[in-house]
Amino acid sequence: MILTSNLKEATRSLLASKQRTILALIGIVIGIGSVIAMVSVGRIVQDEALRQFKEMGTDILTIEKEFGGGLPDGGGGRPAAKSALKLDTIRAIASRCPAISNVAPSVRGTGEASFNGKKLERSGPMGVTASFLAINKLSIREGRFLSDLDEQSRFCVIGSQVAAELQKKGADRVVGSKIRIGDNLFTVIGVTSEVPQGGMRRFEPNEMIYLHITTSLRVFANAEISSITARVSPGYTNTAARDQVLAYFVSLGMGSAVRITSPEEIIAQMEKQMQMFTLLLGAIGSISLIVGGVGVMNVMLVSVTERRREIGIRRALGAKRGDIRGQFLIESVILSLIGGLVGIIFGVGASWLIAHFAQWQFTLSLGAILLGVGVSNAVGIFFGYYPARQASLLDPIVALKSD
Amino acid sequence: MLILRDIRKSYRIGPTEVDVLKGVNLEVQQGELLSIMGPSGCGKSTLMNCIGLLDRPTSGSFMLDGVEVAYTNDDALSDIRNRRIGFVFQQYFLLSRLTALENVALPLVYRGDAGQDTTDRCMELLKRVGMEDRALHRPAELSGGQQQRVAIARALVGSPSIILADEPTGALDTQVGGEIMELFKTLNAEEGITVVIITHDPGIARQCKRVALMKDGGIVE
Ligand SMILES: Nc1ncnc2c1ncn2[C@@H]1O[C@H](COP(=O)(O)OP(=O)(O)O)[C@@H](O)[C@H]1O
Ligand SMILES: [Mg+2]
Repeated sequence: MILTSNLKEATRSLLASKQRTILALIGIVIGIGSVIAMVSVGRIVQDEALRQFKEMGTDILTIEKEFGGGLPDGGGGRPAAKSALKLDTIRAIASRCPAISNVAPSVRGTGEASFNGKKLERSGPMGVTASFLAINKLSIREGRFLSDLDEQSRFCVIGSQVAAELQKKGADRVVGSKIRIGDNLFTVIGVTSEVPQGGMRRFEPNEMIYLHITTSLRVFANAEISSITARVSPGYTNTAARDQVLAYFVSLGMGSAVRITSPEEIIAQMEKQMQMFTLLLGAIGSISLIVGGVGVMNVMLVSVTERRREIGIRRALGAKRGDIRGQFLIESVILSLIGGLVGIIFGVGASWLIAHFAQWQFTLSLGAILLGVGVSNAVGIFFGYYPARQASLLDPIVALKSD
Repeated sequence: MLILRDIRKSYRIGPTEVDVLKGVNLEVQQGELLSIMGPSGCGKSTLMNCIGLLDRPTSGSFMLDGVEVAYTNDDALSDIRNRRIGFVFQQYFLLSRLTALENVALPLVYRGDAGQDTTDRCMELLKRVGMEDRALHRPAELSGGQQQRVAIARALVGSPSIILADEPTGALDTQVGGEIMELFKTLNAEEGITVVIITHDPGIARQCKRVALMKDGGIVE
């Protein structure tokens, strides 16, 4: 009863001083709005990254050469050469481990690529096998991909970006053009389809010049197989597959030479990083929230000063200190909640716009909305408490005598 | 029902102590219509604030309905004000945002009562003071005399033991002031309500059954 009458009173008093109320509302709206926008954008980015990551499939393992992981027979000699992963060893993984259906080793090459004597910007050679295309969920737009019959050949397949650059540099037909890398000329036999930017592959597919892995290992000095992508056979868990692969390398005495990562680990790590990122964004938004809260406090303090007489009358009629405190607290909470609701709308709207222009998939985060409601409530109580307490501590006589 | 013994009140202004009440002794019986009269600045309002438990005396004993009340805690004092004392002020002190009806209901709100019962009770009291057709008006839409009638209804709504009126006619012209005095007299005569009226106007004081004169911080009858 006191509550309902307090609610009614609070709305009335907020309406009675519209200008001040609106000014305080703006502060809260901006504060809550930016927190919501930040947190919600953080979530969208997180979802987006995960989505792109999962697009490659989560049934893959990444096997990488462990730097510094020594081999048992490593007495003298260069450690790099000793720890090199042999192509035959890798090819045998699929037959020795039933849990692995396919492997795609790759070699990153170095060297400038040029066409017609003109340097190709943003391109990099990479040695791959025929299985590479399917495992990385890439497809061919023109021509064909490298096959196992292309061992040691001087053929290459290029990403869409490289193809565009060739055309810009005067190639009539991309397929059949010749690209120079170092001292070697490669004939383009195919072009891969464009893939969206920012995927979770550890290379930029559109900017690649793919050679057969055997060719790269011969052509590039110091080239070695650094990364293998392995597709897990249907019916096997990633963990089982991982155990089999590890057992295989251990049987070769290379247990410590490789590091095997499953997507779960990467996803977990990504989620952790993204949470930090979201938290950071939220913290930045909170600064404007504090400013908004101070605005609420200011409005409430003015309101208390203006209504000293009223406080005195209420006290004379039997209002306890707690009643007065409650009345002003409810007022500031209502103010903050209204600001919070509008702020949520603005924040979600802003994050929608950001997602729209960044071409991310928009997701409405319930967590962000609950956060907004909770935080605005907390702001109302936190910044309203001091003015409300001031009001409740007023001496009834002093309050009555003031005007 | 109301017994004041040697009530003293002093204010400290800087280094000097000003004694306003210098040992007030007063007894008010149930059903009395008493006026406390004295020149401006003699401490009448200070005394009323002490009786009304809005202020605490510096020393002295104050019994209300047989209970010592002057030094209880703030919440308990609020409760006594709410249930046992009805205030009527010179400046009416209605809340401007509330309607007459809502103003009358305020003491009941702080008692935790609400609903149709209270509305009926408040309407009944507005009728008692002749303001039932203005129940939904706000104070700014009422004349001074009308506002004071609403304030009297508000003072009566909680069925208090005593009504304390500080210069209730002080802001009204003689005719309207006379009507307000008539209302107090009727309430006292017909319903036996105890009323203490504070005034500096001998004309008002004369209409009361008993007059207490305030002089030099004390009461002489
Ligand atoms: N809060 C206060 N501080 C200091 N002096 C006060 C205070 N309140 C009242 N007084 C003094 O007490 C005296 C009595 O005041 P008051 O009770 O209002 O008189 P009355 O109602 O009879 O006109 C006055 O001289 C006034 O200046
Ligand atoms: Mg006075």
